Amino acid sequence: MTRVNLAKIGLFVASLYLFVLAITLMKEGAIGLAPLTQTLAVTSPANSLGFGWLFAYTIMSGSPVAAAALTFFDAGVVDRLGAFAMITGSRLGASFIVLFIGFLYVLRGRNRATSLSMGLLSLTVTATTYLPGLAVGAWFLKRGLLDGVQLRSGALLSSITERAVEPISNAAVALLPEWAVFLVGLGVILFSFNLFDRCLPQSTLKESQVGWMSRLVYRPWVMFFVGALVTLISMSVSVSLSILVPLSARGFVRRENVIPYIMGANITTFVDTLLAAVLLKNPPAFTVVLVEMFSIAIISVLILALFYRLYEHSILRFVSWVTARNRNLALFMAGIFLVPILLLLA
Amino acid sequence: MRILLVVHALPNDEVTLHLGTQIAGQAGGAITVLAVGGNARDRARVEPSLGRAREILAQVANLQTRVRLGSPVRQVLREAQEGSYDLIVVGEPWHDNRLDRFRPGSESVHLVENAPCSVLVVKGKPRPIRRILLCDSGAGSVLADPVLRAARPSPSLLARFAAQVAEMLQGEEDITILHVMSQIGAGPGIPGKQLRAAAEELIDERSPEGELLRQDVQMLVRPGVQARPLVRHGLVLDEILHEARCGDYDLVVIGAHPGKLWQKLLLDYLARKIMVQIDRPILVIK
Repeated sequence: MTRVNLAKIGLFVASLYLFVLAITLMKEGAIGLAPLTQTLAVTSPANSLGFGWLFAYTIMSGSPVAAAALTFFDAGVVDRLGAFAMITGSRLGASFIVLFIGFLYVLRGRNRATSLSMGLLSLTVTATTYLPGLAVGAWFLKRGLLDGVQLRSGALLSSITERAVEPISNAAVALLPEWAVFLVGLGVILFSFNLFDRCLPQSTLKESQVGWMSRLVYRPWVMFFVGALVTLISMSVSVSLSILVPLSARGFVRRENVIPYIMGANITTFVDTLLAAVLLKNPPAFTVVLVEMFSIAIISVLILALFYRLYEHSILRFVSWVTARNRNLALFMAGIFLVPILLLLA
Repeated sequence: MRILLVVHALPNDEVTLHLGTQIAGQAGGAITVLAVGGNARDRARVEPSLGRAREILAQVANLQTRVRLGSPVRQVLREAQEGSYDLIVVGEPWHDNRLDRFRPGSESVHLVENAPCSVLVVKGKPRPIRRILLCDSGAGSVLADPVLRAARPSPSLLARFAAQVAEMLQGEEDITILHVMSQIGAGPGIPGKQLRAAAEELIDERSPEGELLRQDVQMLVRPGVQARPLVRHGLVLDEILHEARCGDYDLVVIGAHPGKLWQKLLLDYLARKIMVQIDRPILVIK
């Protein structure tokens, strides 16, 4: 038991170290990606949104893209609004992962609705909260309403971590071209998230004694806070969704509970991006992430407080429509690929 | 069986009294008709309602009428506590006040939450009770946590229904036992056959929901009573309301919200929402 815990603590420390190293490498190498963003003409927030969205599809993860967006901003490759839109795009792309895995199950002959429902819910809830959140956040950024809110101990934290990774990052910068340093950083951050996922106590959740809890219908606000709390610890929406599986003996979850859970998870999933902003020692980058969290929280709270039942019905009806026929699913899949491409080309 | 029949000196008292007559005809026992007035001047206003009650319930051997003054819900609750009743029958709406349209069912909900016994809320256009929709969530039964159940045993809805209301049944009722599965697969690889299965399939597979329904049907076996299991898939509230309307039931039966503090704080109060939104008589079993 102690050995297992020590191993997990070791993994956690290693993943944290690699995360810091990755941010440092991406920060040093981001400027080398400037020609790429110029070639792709990532000049407007719409382009950035599409770029972040497609980038997350490509690497099947959102957090590294969000961190990359901050390093681009730090290097002056994109502006504040561009970084903000790219982070939003990263989350839209990341929510595709659960759907993609479900799609593979459908191709292997599993039932369409069962395999795709969770992924579709995740993507639809994310899109319907993040896109309005984009407008709210843009307004906050323009007005500079949250510019004064900064983490006071951030400078101390980044100076300590900087020393820990300096020898490796300096060597990488000396040996590799800037774009390669960025790509190495991207690889390291993906690996660090992978290590972090392994730190979570999955075995203790299997066939848990609290399985009966998954059969109850909770107040939406309760599930909202539970989703936020679980994701604050796991740092990933897809991981916090996967935690729901072993909580019920058969892997079932009440549909009443899922939507507010995803809404809560979608806010605290930025905690690693917030840490990345602190490590960059860039106060405006910190503000961008804070505004992202704040604007999504505002939209989510408004939905929960004012028209949650209507929202819930609309989302569930849409998911049913998508899974009802192959044609609908094909239209949806085409849409989620075409929209980011069009945004990038806009 | 001791029944408390509440009248409001409104036209809908007629249907409440007729339904009370039907129940009393089956269950026998004592009926108390209670009218609540806001103040002493209301006594004259409610007296004709009690007179009408005495006419309609003339065949009830043990009939009493009573007037109480004060807040309607508080007075009904006080009477229910003092009189040790088994069932409260109350009509809805409670007032002909236009403001009540903006908070429908609030008095009934308050009454149900605090009543010491089961409550039948009469609304819509009641008819002789032939078709009953009994909504069983599985609380206190096979779907509940075995550890929790052992620590704090609470009888299932069907056990409470059988113990409290069975004597009201004429033996000609058609009872549908509804269980709503609102679950979806929590992940892409979850086998989801049961998420689409009908009641019979779940019973054959001996799934927890199937076992619940099988036990429920067995509990209702009695001469003349037709009990059939039904599973619907979707949001709990929507599916219950939809089935109640589409199945044209004469009475809907649900369990009351559990009373523990953590449950009140964390769980969605579906019974309240059903009570407010349903368009026909609803019996809330405690």
